[in-house]
Amino acid sequence: MEKKIQLLIIFVLMSMGLTYGICVQMKTVSKNGTTVNLTSTQSKLKDEILRISEKYDNLFAELEEVEKQLEVERQNSTSNNSNLATLEENIKQRNLALGLTEVTGTGVKIILNDSNITTATNPFINVSDLLVHDGDLMNVVNELFNAGAEAVSINGQRVISTTAIECDGNVIKVNGTKIGAPFEINAIGYPELLSGGLSRQGGTLELLEARGLSINLSKQNSIKIPKYAGAIKFNYATNIENY
Amino acid sequence: MIYLAIIVGCILGAILGINAPMISYTYSTYLAIAVVAALDSVFGGISSVLKKNFDLKIFLSGFFVNSILSILLTILGQKLNVDIYLATIFVFISRMFNNLTIIRRYYVEKWSEQLEHLRKIKAETDTNQSNNS
Repeated sequence: MEKKIQLLIIFVLMSMGLTYGICVQMKTVSKNGTTVNLTSTQSKLKDEILRISEKYDNLFAELEEVEKQLEVERQNSTSNNSNLATLEENIKQRNLALGLTEVTGTGVKIILNDSNITTATNPFINVSDLLVHDGDLMNVVNELFNAGAEAVSINGQRVISTTAIECDGNVIKVNGTKIGAPFEINAIGYPELLSGGLSRQGGTLELLEARGLSINLSKQNSIKIPKYAGAIKFNYATNIENY
Repeated sequence: MIYLAIIVGCILGAILGINAPMISYTYSTYLAIAVVAALDSVFGGISSVLKKNFDLKIFLSGFFVNSILSILLTILGQKLNVDIYLATIFVFISRMFNNLTIIRRYYVEKWSEQLEHLRKIKAETDTNQSNNS
């Protein structure tokens, strides 16, 4: 009798293990969308991309962890030394200016989207005018900084001193990361000034609106802007000593 | 009883597997190979039951050792840049087909025997009836 129960338990465990494995595998595959006939080179490339992006995500998580640890360590070591505490405050100020910290404050939020006019309804229109281009984003960001914006982000990408906004086919690259419409631009600053600068007569938004783009500008009491996610590295520029 | 145990195990495994966290893509290749190896030993087990030489120790060791060995071979293949997992899959699947053939033959023969038997009984009753009338 005991032997039989043992046998039953073994069978339950084995079939459980097998179906568990199959289910997990099916879930993983369906999540990563490995479907319809890719050639072997394509599937290999896809495989590689998935692997590398996974590795990148892991490393990124690790980096954030380490940064948090660094913050804690710094606070611990400077907590009972006023001299170091001021230095610590300095570091914080510099990081804020560089865009390496997450910031919050009053500001505006602009959502730019491609026009919903199509060439089917209006055959004489220039198709290029109906899309949001890299130049349009650049103009808006420029206008925001001109109106005193202190922090700007486009679709979660922080705009810092070395940020490039470039055209990359049918998407736009900001900080080397591809983003697509709709574009959500957040800016921290004095809301009246920012929105006034953007929506003045003959200003940036009016020109974009004339092309039929959909624009949604709203003032925000509290807006959150993420930190710059990359590393700022200077290879050629060095400080001049004794300035 | 054993069938019930297997069905309960399958349902439990499916529920757990659906709710389980996804494994990372890098390891999904290994899991796939292990699943194929385990399936191979399951079919091997069924065919050995039909051939009446089933041994639980051999079945269990095949189930686990084959899975682990195939994973190790896959890792070795990736280190050597040879697609060893293709050979593993080839061997396992061809064995699975062999075992499936044995299972199919067994049931087809059983079924045709039964048919034959039924036909005989019917023929006998027919002759009896004609004799009576």
